[in-house]
Amino acid sequence: MGNVLAASSPAPPSAPGSGVVQGGPGLVSVPPGFSMPSVPPPSVPGQPAGETGSPLPNPGTYEECHRKCKEVVPIQLEGVRLVVNKGLSNHFQVSHTVTLSTLAESGYRFGATYVGTQQTGPAESFPVMMGDMDNTGSLNAQVIHQLTSAVRSKIAIQTQQHKFVNWQCDLEYRGDDFTSAVTLGNPDVLLGSGIIVAHYLQSISPALALGGELVYHRRPGEEGAVTSLMGRYTGNNYVATLTLGGAGAHATYYHRANDQLQLGVEFEGSMRTQETAVSFGYQLDLPKANLLFKGSVDSNWVVGAVLEKKLLPLPLSLALGAFLNQKKNTFQCGVNVTVG
Amino acid sequence: MAGIEELSPAAGPVETRPPEGEIDEDEELDETILERLWGLTEMFPDTLRSAAEVTASGSVTVAKKLYSFSRAALWVGTTSFMILVLPVVFETERLQLEQQQLQQQRQILLGPNAGMSGGMPGLMPPAPVKM
Repeated sequence: MGNVLAASSPAPPSAPGSGVVQGGPGLVSVPPGFSMPSVPPPSVPGQPAGETGSPLPNPGTYEECHRKCKEVVPIQLEGVRLVVNKGLSNHFQVSHTVTLSTLAESGYRFGATYVGTQQTGPAESFPVMMGDMDNTGSLNAQVIHQLTSAVRSKIAIQTQQHKFVNWQCDLEYRGDDFTSAVTLGNPDVLLGSGIIVAHYLQSISPALALGGELVYHRRPGEEGAVTSLMGRYTGNNYVATLTLGGAGAHATYYHRANDQLQLGVEFEGSMRTQETAVSFGYQLDLPKANLLFKGSVDSNWVVGAVLEKKLLPLPLSLALGAFLNQKKNTFQCGVNVTVG
Repeated sequence: MAGIEELSPAAGPVETRPPEGEIDEDEELDETILERLWGLTEMFPDTLRSAAEVTASGSVTVAKKLYSFSRAALWVGTTSFMILVLPVVFETERLQLEQQQLQQQRQILLGPNAGMSGGMPGLMPPAPVKM
């Protein structure tokens, strides 16, 4: 079941990004199980290099750089969600999700994941096909395949009932010490519109990686491009990342205090809305108590926490979340129950 | 001499003011005791009086703001503590109690020497512990 479990976290359905300038967040992202293993704090990222000043390691993908800090911050839960995951074989897994919500629509979602036979690593196999269908007929589908030993491709589509909202194709090339990716989003030959996103990330030293992103979007009568630069520095037990671009600045700092506590600080400033926000998050891991606790404090006066507990011996996992906006005095809580 | 009134020698001194009793009543009706005390402050110079007034009203405003701030701060502090810290405290306490209970059970089962986790039971062969 190892291969199927590696594929167990499906990509979160993201908001449709029609013509939006920031191509990255608007398009469907690679699920965490399928990318190169993220930077382990005490050791050097990617393939381990030799003792003497040997070739630089592969820096990972561009999207992954801010991910370590983002994983520490809790996600706002809302309503009741029951997820039943069932692995039918080593290659195939099915999930049923029932969502009862007060703010949005309640619904049922069926998801299926197929993991192929071409094995590239201990936790990765290709091709990977993931599909998700809603009770209203909205479909999210992704196919990820490793074309050659260095080239990986991904095709993803997202529909809202019968209308296609997002369709994108992604090609990633991993060199020895660099990664480059090209994403073509919502290409429409008839209208002459689309978004092209190009990423490049290069390892300068075993700890430092620099990269850039170019987003070019085009609509009939309008076209524009946004560039941004990124730098990531990995220390002994911390990772600091900075992204500066036409769309704003984004800086994250991730720190591993001990094997139970991880901290993350994030600063985000946007040119478009002229707003800045700072958020501080922490994650407390108590495997003895089967507990995972994530908390966050925001500069928008938002305090939130998510408590996740494994109810052994059943393969049951309970997540309770609470988010409180002190300024507006609004509160939101949610429960997630995951079976299997 | 016809315009001049002749006073008879029996008439006493002419009363030109109202009697004493009426004067006191009028003055008491005009001012209460507080107004009389307030009137005493008029002996202080004007600058001192205005400074005292500003200080008094300022301290009242500060006291009101401090009160409302401490109310809001107490609420924000309590709810944030409740959300961020309390669940972890509950869970760690529960874990401690469970471990204590396990230790006690092990003590009862294997004797007081085997109370510590990982302690050797001495010369006795290790008894199978069924949990």
